[in-house]
Amino acid sequence: MNTLRLSLLRDDLAVSDKPLLFSVFLLIFGGIACIFSAGGGMEQGRGYAIRQLVWCAVSCGAYVSVVAVGYRKFMDLAYPIYALTLLLLVLMMAFAPEVKGAQRMISLGVIRVQPSEFGKISLILVLSKFLSRYPPLSLKLFLAGLAVGAPVLLMVLIQPDLGSSLVYMVIILAALFTAGTPLKYLFSFGALGAASFPFLWLFLKDYQKMRLLVFLDPTRDPLGAGYNVIQSRIAVGSGSFWGKGFLQGLQSKLRFLPEPHTDFIFSVYAEEFGFLGSSLLLIFFGIVFTRMVAAGLKNRDVRAKLLIAGITAWIWFQMFEGIGMSMGLMPVTGLTLPFLSYGGSSLLSLSIALGLVGSICVDSAKPYKQLYSESK
Amino acid sequence: MPEIRDILDARLKMLMYGIFVSLLVLFTGLYFFQIVQADKYIRLAYNNRLRLIRFLPPRGGIFDRSGVPLAVNETTFSIMGYPLDLDKPGMLSHVSSVLSAHGIPVSVEDLKKTVRKQRWAPYQVIRLVPNLTMVQMAELFADPEFPSQLFPLPVWRRIYPAGAIAANITGFVGEISEAELRNNPPGRYVGGDIVGKSGIERSYEERLRGTAGEEAIEVNARGRKVRSVDVLKPSKGEDLYLTLDMGAQKLAMELLSGYRGAVVAMDVKTGAVLVSASSPTYDNNPLAWGVSAKEWQELTEDRDKPMLDRAIAGVYPPASTFKALVALAALEEGVIAPATTFSCPGFLKLPSRTFRCWRRSGHGSVNLAGALQNSCDVYFYQVGMRLGIDKLLKWCKKFGLGVPTGVDLPGESGGNIAGPGWKKKRLGENWYQGDTINYSIGQGYLLLTPFQIVRLYAAIANGGYLVTPHFVASESRAPADIGLLPEKLAAVQKGLDRVVSRGTGARAGSFGVAVAGKTGTAQNAHGMDHALFAGYAPADNPQYVAVAMVEAGAHGGSVASPIVGEILAHILSHPAEKNESEGD
Repeated sequence: MNTLRLSLLRDDLAVSDKPLLFSVFLLIFGGIACIFSAGGGMEQGRGYAIRQLVWCAVSCGAYVSVVAVGYRKFMDLAYPIYALTLLLLVLMMAFAPEVKGAQRMISLGVIRVQPSEFGKISLILVLSKFLSRYPPLSLKLFLAGLAVGAPVLLMVLIQPDLGSSLVYMVIILAALFTAGTPLKYLFSFGALGAASFPFLWLFLKDYQKMRLLVFLDPTRDPLGAGYNVIQSRIAVGSGSFWGKGFLQGLQSKLRFLPEPHTDFIFSVYAEEFGFLGSSLLLIFFGIVFTRMVAAGLKNRDVRAKLLIAGITAWIWFQMFEGIGMSMGLMPVTGLTLPFLSYGGSSLLSLSIALGLVGSICVDSAKPYKQLYSESK
Repeated sequence: MPEIRDILDARLKMLMYGIFVSLLVLFTGLYFFQIVQADKYIRLAYNNRLRLIRFLPPRGGIFDRSGVPLAVNETTFSIMGYPLDLDKPGMLSHVSSVLSAHGIPVSVEDLKKTVRKQRWAPYQVIRLVPNLTMVQMAELFADPEFPSQLFPLPVWRRIYPAGAIAANITGFVGEISEAELRNNPPGRYVGGDIVGKSGIERSYEERLRGTAGEEAIEVNARGRKVRSVDVLKPSKGEDLYLTLDMGAQKLAMELLSGYRGAVVAMDVKTGAVLVSASSPTYDNNPLAWGVSAKEWQELTEDRDKPMLDRAIAGVYPPASTFKALVALAALEEGVIAPATTFSCPGFLKLPSRTFRCWRRSGHGSVNLAGALQNSCDVYFYQVGMRLGIDKLLKWCKKFGLGVPTGVDLPGESGGNIAGPGWKKKRLGENWYQGDTINYSIGQGYLLLTPFQIVRLYAAIANGGYLVTPHFVASESRAPADIGLLPEKLAAVQKGLDRVVSRGTGARAGSFGVAVAGKTGTAQNAHGMDHALFAGYAPADNPQYVAVAMVEAGAHGGSVASPIVGEILAHILSHPAEKNESEGD
């Protein structure tokens, strides 16, 4: 029985999207190289790089497990998982210490977990389930869809974790968009959001206001947040076409870049691998997005399509923000660059998401009959 | 029905196109910075052109209630340099020899240490030598030997016009230590910053410090400034006006001269501190611009402990000043009435031990007012026994004893109101009736700070409100109602009145104001007894309360009570000027 299960799993993994996984592995290993380099090579970088490798191995395990379980099971449990996520966020508000300007974490012995990372998956699951059952074609259902996503978004916002809450917002909007919301609703909602910005400004923390102001005018705080932007741009720009070469970047070594192994990992990458390497990076991200969307188009399950839309939007936004920020084109939010940044929670949650995508591929490959008999 | 799947697929494709557009945007951005503008950024990165200077913000001043300066800034000059210049071989020894030639002795080791401590980034400027005068600076820069990569930066230096008179209150500033740097969130301070190390300077660091300014400059190959890239002006810290009355503070220091001890005076209703003198004291001026390790050691190891603020951190047996609390507790608990009398034959004989009254011949039959007036010990032994230790400690807590008063100065002690549990744990002994008897005259394990005593007497004077002593009015908390019955309070006030009008504290009343209070003489195992007096004035409408604690001052009535009397008289005859900041 067990061997049968294992061979079934082997078949399942065999239909995984190879270009997708290949690109992801390249991105992860590029990230590990940069983490190694950012920590000054053997000095501190080795420790970070080894830990990231361990997380990579753990993440592979997570990917295989999720494929084995199948996205349908996750779908069935979408509401309980979402409730649990909310509970966890509430508990964390009450007990976890606030790290200035950073995501809150729950400490589990030696490892620290960021629930806001896993909350993204939970949000995507619940939106997919809800919006496939109640397509947001009327204003009422559109608002209902928004209301489903709002609690977790608000919890993250009051942490306060502005960066993650932006990701949550993007996920909600992408799911609503894909589910077929009439565009007039989305545009009205966007206009409403823009109009309420001056009001929201009052709720931002000082450092968040500073980051936004610095984005508009980096000279406002040349040694603080503005300094990061200036120095990061120097790192990227000085990479030039070929890059300075692996371990040859100076900006990160000379401690010009803050958090070079997490938030500013792309600056390290761009400085050392240049325009050539950066373009390749964009191409691999492009492959990841294309393959994911293709998997969504291929599957006939509406929930799967929405799931794909949410995951794609999440990874896309963090990529766009991470790379844009390092050039000073986006404000500094403290988000990680998917697959490349150091951090176990980030990598693990991404691999779970990819596991869901993998499982959707498996699902599409099965004949309809088999699906039918399985669900019976 | 139009297949919902078709809509979804169409939308998914649109999402994909949007993503392609965004990738194109990023690609264009990379092209712009890494290809089009690459030369500019390569130059900035490789030629080390960008350098950063941090300007310390002028610190807010500290003033007394009428604007007398306690802490102000004075401009001096620092020699600044960049790590990448200073790291050149031989640079520091050259700097050291040039400085020595101009009469500024700085060893190479000191310079190396300075550079190591402040190093943060190669273009982050380092303060090599601080506190130079204009003349010294001009001479140095006229010397052709002086390295051209170094440059002067005008900075402020903290001076304390009041010096030793208020050193325990204002405290002093100093360069931030590595431990302090670590304990603050990154980016808040950098090495070389000046922070409050003690006193008001430390407790109001956040309000006093201001915001540092920064300038990013582009320099040429010789390290000279070519142009300014970005400037952020520093903004001055907030000026603080204390409730302190420097006139009275000065008088208190004069009255304490030659003694070890403390004098505290406070507004009975608000808790605004007017006087907080601690003797002996120290000059905080040299500490603010750095003293040698030897000088520091001398100060900290001085047997008279000049750096100890005896007003907030000196703990003493309250002795007979404590009797006011014992009396109030007993009245409130109903174990005595004002008219209850006990007979004092000069001693109280218990099976285990005999406890003596300070007056060997005894006081005869005394009631509460008489017992306070003449500080009859036997009367309070009896009261203490009736009250019991648990109820007594309960009332100690109600008056805020055993915990810091919450005054806005760092390093306050909470004193000690240890009870039976503490004794069992610490000494492994049971609590005896004798311990309770000792407590009832303010002796035994009981230890209070002058601030706790002054707060206790403020509560007696203001009708039973526990105030929070403070130096900055805006930080004051509303007084807490202890819940004392007016007639019980009046009975104790009457007794305190008679202490001065015809009892042991008569000398407190010889300065033209009616004072009510209580003397105290604390047994001191190490020498002469400590003298204490706590009192308030005017007796019929209390406004100010004061306590004097004179170590080895022998008897409270003769040494401490005139100090309190004179301070209270001075405060009442010198009302605060118009521009006082005390709003409440």
